[in-house]
Formats: sequence, C-alpha cells, structure tokens
Amino acid sequence: MTETTASRLFRLRTSYVKHGRLAYLGHLELIHTIERIVRRAGLPFAVTQGFSPHMRVGFTSALPVGTSSDAEYYDLFMTDYVPAPAALDALRASSPADLAPIASGYLDVRAPALTAEITRALYRIDLDLAVRLDVDADRLERDVSRLLEQGRIPYMRGKKEKELDLAGNLVSFAASQVSRGRLALELDTRISNEGGLRPEILLAALDRLWAPAGSDFEGPIVSRGIQDFERIPRYSVCRTAQYAEDADGSLLSPLRTDEPSPAPKSVSSVPSL
Amino acid sequence: MRLAYEDRFSELEPLLARVEKPSRYIDHEWGTKSDPAAPFRVCLIYPDVYEVGLPNQGIAILYAVLNQQEGISCERGYVPWIDMADAMRAAHVPLLSLEGAAPVASFDIVGFHVPHEMAVTNYLEALDLAGIPLLSADRAEDDPIVIAGGPSVYNPEPVACFFDAIMIGEGEEQIVEASRCVERMRASGASRIDILRALAHVGGAYVPALYEVSHEGPCTEHGFTVPRAGEDVPDVVYKRVVRDFGATDPVPQSIVPYAQLVHDRLSIEVLRGCARGCRFCQAGMTYRPVRERTPDQIVGAVTRGLSEMGYEEVSLTSLSTTDHSCCAPILSRLNRRLADTGTRVSIPSQRLDSFGVDMALSVAGEKKGGLTFAPEAGSQRLRDVINKNVTEDDLERATRAAFEAGWRRVKLYFMMGLPGETDDDIRAIAELADRTYELAREIVPKGQRGGISVSVSVSVFIPKAATPFQWCAQTPDEEVKRRQQLLIHSVRNRAVRVHYHDADTSLIEAVLSRGGRDLSGVIMGAWRRGARFDAWTEQFDLARWEDAAREEGIDLRAVAQTPFELEARLPWEHVSPGVSRGFLLREWRRAMKAETTPDCTRTSCTGCGICPTLHAENVLVGDRK
Repeated sequence: MTETTASRLFRLRTSYVKHGRLAYLGHLELIHTIERIVRRAGLPFAVTQGFSPHMRVGFTSALPVGTSSDAEYYDLFMTDYVPAPAALDALRASSPADLAPIASGYLDVRAPALTAEITRALYRIDLDLAVRLDVDADRLERDVSRLLEQGRIPYMRGKKEKELDLAGNLVSFAASQVSRGRLALELDTRISNEGGLRPEILLAALDRLWAPAGSDFEGPIVSRGIQDFERIPRYSVCRTAQYAEDADGSLLSPLRTDEPSPAPKSVSSVPSL
Repeated sequence: MRLAYEDRFSELEPLLARVEKPSRYIDHEWGTKSDPAAPFRVCLIYPDVYEVGLPNQGIAILYAVLNQQEGISCERGYVPWIDMADAMRAAHVPLLSLEGAAPVASFDIVGFHVPHEMAVTNYLEALDLAGIPLLSADRAEDDPIVIAGGPSVYNPEPVACFFDAIMIGEGEEQIVEASRCVERMRASGASRIDILRALAHVGGAYVPALYEVSHEGPCTEHGFTVPRAGEDVPDVVYKRVVRDFGATDPVPQSIVPYAQLVHDRLSIEVLRGCARGCRFCQAGMTYRPVRERTPDQIVGAVTRGLSEMGYEEVSLTSLSTTDHSCCAPILSRLNRRLADTGTRVSIPSQRLDSFGVDMALSVAGEKKGGLTFAPEAGSQRLRDVINKNVTEDDLERATRAAFEAGWRRVKLYFMMGLPGETDDDIRAIAELADRTYELAREIVPKGQRGGISVSVSVSVFIPKAATPFQWCAQTPDEEVKRRQQLLIHSVRNRAVRVHYHDADTSLIEAVLSRGGRDLSGVIMGAWRRGARFDAWTEQFDLARWEDAAREEGIDLRAVAQTPFELEARLPWEHVSPGVSRGFLLREWRRAMKAETTPDCTRTSCTGCGICPTLHAENVLVGDRK
C-alpha cells in the first residue's frame, strides 16, 4: 500500500474496560463500536488510503464473547496532535459506561502493534460450583496442577482440532475461596503468535475432571464463547491486566504512565497497519 | 393484574450463553432516550429480530417524538430469534423490553410496527411470549392497549382481531394523541371498551372492535367492514398526514447499535411521497403528497447526525431519492464536506430516468458496491401498463453512466405475473438483462471484466389494496413457476444471474393482501403449527398455512387468485390513504389500454384526490425536471 499523504501522524494509546453486558460483544462488534466512539469524540483520526478507506486503529487480541476486561487497549492514529487529557475527556464523553476509557498517552508511531507487544495476560475466573461438589481452593489448585502436568488439553474450535499448551502458556495460578460455593482462580498467562490460553478450555477440563467416575462425555471439549457446564453452573471470566515483557522479563504496562509521556513524534513515512 | 414494571435482565442473562448473537438482547446502546421513572410507558415492537428492526425509520421517529413528551417514556422491543424464544419459554421468562428489560405486558401501550404482510405470525409470537392474549376481545381490563401502525395497514382486516387499534398513516402526531388519550382515560378509571371508543376519535385510528363485517349488497366473499350499530365512529378512516414535513426533526435517529446490521448507518429522510404513479405500487399511493426537505436542512442533518452518532455511512432515504429536485447539488455538497473522513453517502435505489453521470460519480465515493435499477417489466408495452414511465434508452443511459463511473455490479429488479403479462414480456426481461451485460463488456476495460456482475431479481406481483391493481387476481403459483423457468431459459449469457422470489411465500402474501377478517383463524392456526419469522425464506413452510386453511375451510388459492368485480365493495375500503375510488378505476382502465399517466410533481394535477381529501399538498423545494 502506498502512503501518499501520511506526512505527520500521531499515535494515541488508550486503555479501557469491557464490563457488564458489553462483555457479550463479539470482537467485530467491539471494533465497530470503538470506531464510532472515536468519530463521536471528534478526534482527527487518520484514514487508510485505497479502495475502501477506513479508520486507522489497532486493537488488543480478541476476548471470547462473555469475557469481561479491566484492561483493554486501542491505538488510534491521528492526523493532528490533541493533548492526551483532552483526547481522553472527549473519548470518555462519547463512550458507553461499560467501555469507559481509563487513560490515554502518546507513543512512537513506529512502535510495534499492540498484538505484537503484549505477551502476557492475567485473568480472574469466578466459579459457582454445583451444590454437591466438594472442591475448595486447595483442591482447585491441586487439580489445575494435575492438568498442568498433563501439559496439553485437546479441544475443537469450529471443525479444527486444536490443543491448548497449558504447560507453555500458564505462567502461574492461585485459587481462593470467595464465599460458600464460590471460588476464584487467578491465572497469569502468555500470549504468543499461536494465540493465548482460553480460560474456558481450562474450565471445561476441570468440569470433566470433577465428573463422577464413569461419566460419559460426548466428544472433545468445544471452544465457544460461553460454555454450559455440569459442575460449574455459573462462572465469569475477566481479563484483569495485559503486559508487555521487557528484555529482562519484567512486566511493563502497555501504557507506561509511570514514565514521562513522550513528546509527540512526527515521521515522514509510516508503515501501514 | 398487570405484570410489574421491573428489570428482569438477570433472568435473561443465563440464556445468553445458549443463543446465537447475544448482542441482540443486551441493549444499553448509545443514544437511548427512555425514562424508567415516567408515569406512562409505551413499548414499540418491530416484528422481527433486533438487527432487522433496529434500522427502522418509523420506529425511530415515534421513539424520538414520544420520549420528548413530558411524562411519557418509550422503549423498544424485538422478536427473539427462535433459539432465544424457545429458551425463554422453557425458563418462563416473558418477552422483555430492551431499555428497561421489563415485561412487555407491564407497559400501558404496546405498539407493533406493520412493515409487510409476512410479519403476521410474529405479532402472535411476540404477544404470546409477552403473555398478552392474542385476540383483542380476550384482553382483560388491565392488559396493555395493543396498537399497530406502519406502511402495510391499508388492508387491516386479516389482522384486525389481534389489535385494539390500528393507526393509519403517518404517526408522528397521532402516536402522541393516542398515548395521551389512553393516559387520560386510564386516569379517569374508564373501562377498556370506553378507552377504545375514545381512541377511535384520534384521527386515523381504526378500532376494529367497533366495526363489523357485512355481506349486504355487491361485495367479495370476505364482505366489507362497517361501524357497529350505535358506535360513533367514522365510516372511512383516512390516513394521517404531516402537512409541514420540513418542520419535523430531520434526525429522529439516535441509537447506535453494537450488533452489526444490514443497514447499519445514519438515515436521513430527504423527502416523503412519490407521485410517479406506478400502478402496482402501494407506497406510491399511500405516502402522497410529495414533500421535500431543503438542501440546507438535509446537509445540516447529515453533519449533525454523523457527529452525534459516529456512523461511517449515511443514506439519503425516501421512496425515490433521485427524484428530489435538488438531488445532484445535495450529493456534491455532502461529498465535499465528508472528503477524507472515510464516510460514505448512499441512496437506496436509483430511478433509471433520473440517474445521470454526475450522480453516478457522487454516490458511494471510492467504494462502489452494486447499483440497483428497477425497470419492473421487460417490455415497453407492459411498462406502460404499470405506468413505470421509463424506456429502454433510460436503462441504457443509466447503466452506461454506472459502468463508466466505475461500477461493476448492477442488479435489475423486475416483477412477474403483472396484469396482461405474456411470454413475450418474460423474454423481454431476458433480453434487457443480456443487453445490459453486453453493454458492460463493451465499456469495462479488458482487465477488469472479471468483476462484472449483472443480476436479475424477479419478484411475484402481489395485488395490493388502494392501488389501481387492487381488483386483480394473483397469477396462479404453478403458472409463476413456469414463467420463472421460461425466464431462466431465455437468458443467453450464462454470466447473468437470475434470482426469483419463492412462489409459496408470494401466495401467502397475496392471501394476506386481499383477504378479510375471515383469515384471522388461518393466521392463528399457522402460528399454532409453528409458523414464525415467515419473512425468512428458510423458516417459511407453506404446509402450516395449508393445514390451517383446511381446518378453517378456506381455499388459499381461491383467495389469492379470484379477481374482484369492479362494483364490489372491497374488504379494505373503510380505511383509505385519501385516494379516490374513481381515480383508481380510471387508472385501471388506462392500464388495460396501456395508456400512461404523468407525475403530478412534473406536470399538473392528475386528480388522485389525496390533496383535497387530506387538506395537504405537494411541497417541492426546486423544479423537478
């Protein structure tokens, strides 16, 4: 693609939440919604050249339908500089509360895309267990360890057979009792080019592990947005944080608000998204 | 006792995991306007799924108007898709409104949009899910007042028993009067029947319970409808019309959906009404007179709507947008203003004789999807019969302009089974399609010819109430199927694709267009046998309708395929868009002689009777050429 007019571009990164009912938005619906938020905010968004011009904006990896998040990000390319606090105010005023932006800051136009930069995702799963099930936080941790020892969980996504590489993707985990019959499981996971750890696959594996001996399951685990489980009648998943990893392995926020905000940079040639 | 108005989303939420497209049910969209604290509540329901119903302009207008009223709150409802409907029934969750997730049965007024005939079973599906009795006569004192309105109310009789009132014509003033009327009567402790009697005095409101069917004198087997003895109601309910259309808000739309829709865009109604006078067209009669908005109002509305809602496409809607006297300058002003914003301007369909090169260049900007033209009939003789008033030269000029301006996909829309149609007329459709394809091959540069697509879409003619063809029979379905085959075998170029409408669906559409109150049992029987979402081809099953008709002793084909005597009183003549019977008869006779009638916005009055009857007139903001 040729960039004929892209002389000065600015890249604004914004963190936002995906809460409540809006957790049920699919990824394409989410992208669509964010684009309309940006248009309503009146920000000077850049448009791709070519046959079908569209807004230049980049997103974090897709959340499964039904999974909420405390920490999503988008990068908006703009043709003019707007002070970050003013841009954030405009975005906040045009966002539904359940997609509220948290913070905005500029970064180098040539920095890697969000999906390339972010390699770690933290999740919190709240599980309501079936009444007769005798599982506490310790047992939950032991059972996750058992699955981890097996290494891989096979599952189906559409018509494709896939495997969740639990050993490779699960960095650490911890369980806690929230209330009677309700546990929380926190996961620190890796996201790579092959994808990330889909928490509902892990839950499906636990559901099968907890089945009474001799239970029959029809076919392999199937990856869907929201699963229907026997022994976990209700659960909710929230992505609580996403990080980039430094060379030494330390975790960096994609919005490095603790660093001095870099001055907006302009460049003469811009790689296309 | 009426159900309580309360948020019951927590009962719906566990079902979201089990249904496709959960975003249909989550609401909380940008731009909703309802007020849960208002003392009087209206729920407007579109009789199909969310993504079909949300773009509807009629509901958007009424929603905006009602929510501007002090003390009235308006919410929306849609029909859950079959997976969700079944899950809701199993879990005993009633139909809920969108904004408040409250039971539809808890509202004061439940209003259904009437988009077309095939929605009938979905009214019953929605009422049943809501727990509201299907028949007006069975509703209790406390039940909501169930009303209906929309474009397809000009033969209300088949659905008359289901609604407490049917609102004829344009609703923006009428809906407020009706709501205030119900509010006032409820406050005074009036009985249900007295509320209905009061409603009948709102202009354009037809209250079926106050009328009965008579068979006295010359009439069809369905009879005709007259006021019940002793009821003080009009013999003929005339449609409501907004005289000063320019004074209405040009941006009634406010809601931005999350789900991706077919028509996911800002719509600005640039004009209302069409006076071309196509003789098959119901909208062409029922939306008169013609009223245009000014270019300044349209351009301002587009700018405001885009900045308030954030859409990336705007559609300039009307029955015939290219007929607007200032269409070309409006398009060029918009294209200048929206340059470099990735925003598209589109117009829903293009009139062959008013679509020029300048217009070709100024719609859709860089991204050129398909263009749709509607010659409607293949031969000039038949186009004269239907008063389409376009020629083969018009088609060639318009498609040439389109191909030269860079379009590659053209769809031609025709009807089959028109009065007086012969096999030669069918072959003429094929010839037009072939010629268009060959024109494309001639104009489009060699390397790009792979992208050429010419398709022909052929629907089945349905005789509609309040048109010059209202006396006509529908062509028998077996004969339609034969003509469809004839068309397919007459097209020479294999690259020309031919799509045609399902003859089974068209049969039921004709039955519902022509029949009377005697059909309500058939509709209920079809729904009881599982008919719902009949407008979705894959959901429609003729067998359910045939079984239901057999049980009721009604012959569906006889209803659709028996012509009416010109002297007979017709089942729908107690509601009227204002067009005179004399004009329709005159047009019918001219049609039989293949004589055309001009457009009154371009020549002088043609005497349809609507302006004097409704005390309204055409409002043009420039000269139409």
